[in-house]
Amino acid sequence: MHNVVTKSRDVTLLEILDRVLDKGVVISGDAVISVADVDLIYLGLKVLLSSVETMEKYRGAPITGPMQEPT
Amino acid sequence: MQMTENQLVYLYCVANQEPKLTETEDLAGNLYFICHRDLYAVAGKVEESEFGKEGLKKNMADLEWVKANATLHERIIEQVMRNTCVIPFKFGTLFNTEDSLKAMLEEYGDEFKAILGRLENKEEWGVKIYCNTEKLKAGTINDNPEILKIENQISSSPPGKAFFLEKKKAELLAQSTNARINEYSQESFELLKELSFEARINKLLPREVTERADDMVLNSAFLVGKDEVGDFINMVDTLKMHHENNGFFIDCTGPWPPYNFCGLSSQKVQNA
Repeated sequence: MHNVVTKSRDVTLLEILDRVLDKGVVISGDAVISVADVDLIYLGLKVLLSSVETMEKYRGAPITGPMQEPT
Repeated sequence: MQMTENQLVYLYCVANQEPKLTETEDLAGNLYFICHRDLYAVAGKVEESEFGKEGLKKNMADLEWVKANATLHERIIEQVMRNTCVIPFKFGTLFNTEDSLKAMLEEYGDEFKAILGRLENKEEWGVKIYCNTEKLKAGTINDNPEILKIENQISSSPPGKAFFLEKKKAELLAQSTNARINEYSQESFELLKELSFEARINKLLPREVTERADDMVLNSAFLVGKDEVGDFINMVDTLKMHHENNGFFIDCTGPWPPYNFCGLSSQKVQNA
């Protein structure tokens, strides 16, 4: 039998940003300060996001366990 | 609630019943409800220095800040939607005063009620399909007699002719692979759509953004009746099983606040 359990709530930041910054009701009016240029910011953010995660990858494995100094 | 001069009202979502949140469930620490015309706006007070035009512009460039605040925005709406139907607002919907928020509820109240009525007892589920193109290509070669025939011709051809046959093979393979991707994503979308009230296709995100080795070939969202969620998930599992050997992977997440299904009629309808 295959393991076909559907992922539920195993949610990445990408999934959240894809909705929260891009979807949802947008109201515009005098009373509202809307996030101007949010699409542009989102685009910039995507690039930023990927570069930060790439950096984290290259930073290598975290130092834990046996590498820790005994106290 | 008292507002100081340097504060703004941040709107998370609108509900048609008073949300029940215990103190520990108030993730922002200062959530409150603004009731107007039988609608409940879930709001919080934020500092103008952080969320005002200048502050927000600066903070949106700070990935850590965006991560923390976008996640908070999502979690707060999730808490509220556990006992009531919600209309989620876009990140960074801010009002100068509670009165201006009330004026917005006054203006859009009827439409919000109609949307909430339509969303009652339904959940948003997200389905993204990824494709390992190399794996799919390998499978495609063996299933396509035309490509196999060219492969045979290549091995018995002089270099000049072989070069052009290789080119032709690559073209055929790309065509055939694309056709399979389209066929599979379309078929999956249609089958899941049949089990939903509404369905949307969103733009594909590139690999630099998804940080996955595989290409996204479908980014879709479905509004599923609560009673049909079991059938929907079974269908996702069936599709997964049928196609995982061909290099396809399905990522299904939910339930989400209905971000994709709460558009105001005055807003441009997104094309599928």
